[in-house]
Amino acid sequence: MRLRNVRLVHFRNHAETAFTCSPDVNVFVGKNGEGKTNILEGISYLCLTKSFFAASDATALQLGTEAFTAQGSFEAADGLTFDTVVSYQGAERRKVMTVNGQAPESMAAMVGQFPVVILSPENSNITFGGPGDRRRFVDLVISQASRGYLEDLLEYRRVLRQRNRILADNRERPGSVTAALEPWTESLVNCGARIVARRIRFVQEFEPEVRTAFGRVAAVNEAPALEYRGTVELNGDASPDAVRSAFARSVERVAPQEQRAGLTLVGPHRDELGMTINDLELRGYASQGQHKTFLVALKLAEVAFLRERCREAPILLLDDVVSELDPERATRLLTEASSLGQTFITATEATMFDRTYGATGYRRFSVRAGQVTADE
Amino acid sequence: MLYTSESIEQLAAAFGQLPGIGRKTAHRLALHILKLPREDVDVLARALVDVKEKVRYCSVCANITENDPCAICASPKRDRSVICVVEEPNDVMAIEKTNEYRGLYHVLGGALSPLDGIGPEDLRITELLRRLETQPTDEIILALNPNVEGEATTLYLTRLLKPVGIRLTRIARGLPVGSDLEFADEATLSRAIEGRIAL
Repeated sequence: MRLRNVRLVHFRNHAETAFTCSPDVNVFVGKNGEGKTNILEGISYLCLTKSFFAASDATALQLGTEAFTAQGSFEAADGLTFDTVVSYQGAERRKVMTVNGQAPESMAAMVGQFPVVILSPENSNITFGGPGDRRRFVDLVISQASRGYLEDLLEYRRVLRQRNRILADNRERPGSVTAALEPWTESLVNCGARIVARRIRFVQEFEPEVRTAFGRVAAVNEAPALEYRGTVELNGDASPDAVRSAFARSVERVAPQEQRAGLTLVGPHRDELGMTINDLELRGYASQGQHKTFLVALKLAEVAFLRERCREAPILLLDDVVSELDPERATRLLTEASSLGQTFITATEATMFDRTYGATGYRRFSVRAGQVTADE
Repeated sequence: MLYTSESIEQLAAAFGQLPGIGRKTAHRLALHILKLPREDVDVLARALVDVKEKVRYCSVCANITENDPCAICASPKRDRSVICVVEEPNDVMAIEKTNEYRGLYHVLGGALSPLDGIGPEDLRITELLRRLETQPTDEIILALNPNVEGEATTLYLTRLLKPVGIRLTRIARGLPVGSDLEFADEATLSRAIEGRIAL
């Protein structure tokens, strides 16, 4: 997937910005606060219908304006064009998306249509943060590759809230809840087992990609590894049916604790993705450099994974990565990125890119106070 | 500050309570009413009151009706050995439109949803069990909505009704008629494969 052009109107500090993209590497150079990241955020709206870091759409409105628009033309590998518009009305808090003039059946239906991989300073919580941050990473990657997985996640979240309500009410007014819980437990297990089985399969498919990417960026002999650490006790068999019966047994086993806690205690919402280098936990043992290399490897692996699953090379957004990495690793990442597909990069200066790609090997834009100009 | 009048605001507020009606539409409707001839407004007002006064729930199936029991329960042409369990009266209307189903109905009045405070005792489940005791039934069809709450209700009823020993079925979940396989979303397609039937 490639973006041909992008237009942003009243989007953060961009009153109106329009530019034509290079099908390969695009670099946005400017000082801090000039609006470089906002461009990547705009592209994120086009691909995912939302920001990659801000929780609320309203924060993307330019101050003093009523509505913003992000517009872009995608070109798929088979040559088809998708003119995409995402607009947000501040007063009504309404977000509308159209693709070739038509509204998709839902925002969720758009996830994965325009695959995108984002590496930004916020992502450091994938390796530094809690289990929830790693689950979110795994869920976003699989969701882009599988619509059914996203539907399962949404369904599971709903079932979980319903089931937790029964447990919470019961803690306030104790009584027998077994009968009331049963249908929700069954739904939880059916839907949750599909999620757990898919995640386990994902980790198996994803780990080799991480190892390959890690080797390319780090150039040291270290062995990164991923491990799915579930709250459901499995005996080696991770087929959906086996996970389902194991899940059912686990829920039964923790029933007394659940009633005390007033919460659902086992399931994909409590699972963890373990990350190690040379069998040592990343969290607690790894150096800053190892953390960063691991993160870059995860993202490059994500590109490879999505390219295969979506049959379409994802767009790669690299926000301020050069200042985060040492020059050697940064060069390797940039070389790697340009071979993967269309890339959008923000940076405070261009030296690194001239050195890596040659002065004419990429398209450079200057960003100043929300104005974007292509450098000749 | 009031730009219109208190009566208009009151009517708009009342419209705003209706499902699917936002603030702007509510105002537009209120102003539309103002423009209508007096007789049309009388007809509308009477229709609103009539709905509340005349319509009741069938004592057998809990469908909406003006005569108790309802036309379906009273009809000698219906197959009394099959009961189709649905969530709401409009589900009955939807199935009736197919002209395929000749059995009876049972309207639960919703689906299980602890978040909304709806438990089994808030649905007409005891009424269904009592009905099964008095009325010989060969089959119960569960036709609840294909969402999280409908699914949980189906599972609940299955556990409850299995021991009764009556043939228990649920409507299939799958592909819409007239669509192409390749355009079906993955979730629907995987459910359709899950619920495949032997030929």
